[in-house]
Amino acid sequence: MTTEVLPGLAESPAAGAEGAAAPERIVVVIDDDHAMRLSCRQILVRMGFAVETFDNGAAGLEGVGRLKPPLVIVDLKMPGLSGLEVIGRVHELDPETVIIVITGYATISTAVDAMKSGAYDFLPKPFSPDELRLMVGRGMERRRLQQESRRFQLERELLRHKFVTFVSHQLKAPLVAIQQYLDVLRRLGDAPEAAEHRAEWLDRCLKRAEDMQTLIHDWLTLAQVEGGALARRREPLDVAALLLPVPDTYQPVAAAAQLTLTCELPVEPLPIVGDASALSVLLDNLITNAIRYNRPHGSIRVSASRCAGEVCIAVEDTGRGIPEECLPFLFDEFFRVGPAEGETTRPSGTGLGLPICRRIAAEMGGTIEVRSVPGQGSTFTVRLPAGGATSSHPGVPNEPQGSDHR
Amino acid sequence: MSRKVLIIDDDADFRRAVGVFLETRGFAVVEAKNGREGLRSAIAQRPDLILMDVMMEERTEGFFTLQQLRRTAGLEHTPVFVVSSIYSNVPGFGIDPAHSWLRHDDFIAKPVDMSALLERIEGRLGAATSGTGAGT
Repeated sequence: MTTEVLPGLAESPAAGAEGAAAPERIVVVIDDDHAMRLSCRQILVRMGFAVETFDNGAAGLEGVGRLKPPLVIVDLKMPGLSGLEVIGRVHELDPETVIIVITGYATISTAVDAMKSGAYDFLPKPFSPDELRLMVGRGMERRRLQQESRRFQLERELLRHKFVTFVSHQLKAPLVAIQQYLDVLRRLGDAPEAAEHRAEWLDRCLKRAEDMQTLIHDWLTLAQVEGGALARRREPLDVAALLLPVPDTYQPVAAAAQLTLTCELPVEPLPIVGDASALSVLLDNLITNAIRYNRPHGSIRVSASRCAGEVCIAVEDTGRGIPEECLPFLFDEFFRVGPAEGETTRPSGTGLGLPICRRIAAEMGGTIEVRSVPGQGSTFTVRLPAGGATSSHPGVPNEPQGSDHR
Repeated sequence: MSRKVLIIDDDADFRRAVGVFLETRGFAVVEAKNGREGLRSAIAQRPDLILMDVMMEERTEGFFTLQQLRRTAGLEHTPVFVVSSIYSNVPGFGIDPAHSWLRHDDFIAKPVDMSALLERIEGRLGAATSGTGAGT
């Protein structure tokens, strides 16, 4: 090995490469061999690390505690505190510190012990500068991955925590409303106020209980899509045929809200590969929204067409529209657009319908997007990859799902 | 003159039930459906006491509004009860009033027990009229 001692290469503990180095660029070397310390320093400084060297285990540990380096190189055989002991103590300080042990051939079995006690790898003496560089590079990469994975884990945990807190709040809200109404009604007893409000409040209680049922249903649907259970089937479908019954199904509901509903479909089939029941859940959510967030005498237009290798389904309403600042969150779980200016309430909803739509579209390899003009209306467009039985693949039978072909 | 309570809560049913109950007990009730409206209403109406929800349009809207109230001239000392279902005794989820910056006696968990609410309001308003600068 090359143990060339470079003149002018100081060995004082403060001699980092360029003063105060970022903690993630510090390497601590603990070795009783002066020449080894110097050559390690020389190689590592050239790699851009700040290097601190110590000639015994106790001083090294003190340095590790102070500098918190991501990587420590330690000689196994030293007088005083042994390398093995140093490994244990360093990991007590920070279990994610990457430790590389230096060992002579004679102590290869000790090297194995070192690995067992948590060292990352070992370098048998003599080693070349390249070997050291390679190993330190790999060790740093391991450290980076370790920290990244821990960061993701923390983020996921935080998200889950926020989500659970939020869901429990959403679940409690209807229950609280029902409890308050019933509690007040009971306390009012035969007072005239009770007679005045009873019928209305009981209706509200029933309504809130219904809301809660819907919320739980939607939540389960979302869980089902996320688990891949809802949009599991991959069967050739004809979107045009699937949409045929839309007017019959939704016109009565639309008419009750003083809305007109039209459905425009091409004559030719619109083949995709997907799950018919999931697609109908998606459509139901979009059309129900278009009805719910519309205004009296407004209209809903459902259409499907083929565009550039995709099948596009559009649901257009003439409702209140969505404020621009809400658009980025529109497909987030439980997000709801607040009441429009001048309104005291907004239509009931769970804030889960659009997340369900997004998941279903994604499960089928597609996308969903929205264009909206506040005060004029919104258009939701679902794009699904065209595929399966097309006219260019006459060999594959096209089975419109039990509907008459137009 | 009847004492005035402002209810800031995004749930119309909650405001209605609690509002009607307080009215039958001789209070004048003002309602607001979010923090902004609540702040405006508090400035205009000068309520004797405020019931404040936490999670409205924003996750911590009530806490934010509370801070704004405390910085508004004339409202610094208006008694505020934070009324929320985010209170939870499941460790790690929701707010534990015993370990929050919020004073324990400023917090009321939903669903609200009406007689307890009445007692708390009477207690605070009595204290506020006889004491000096209570409710900070």
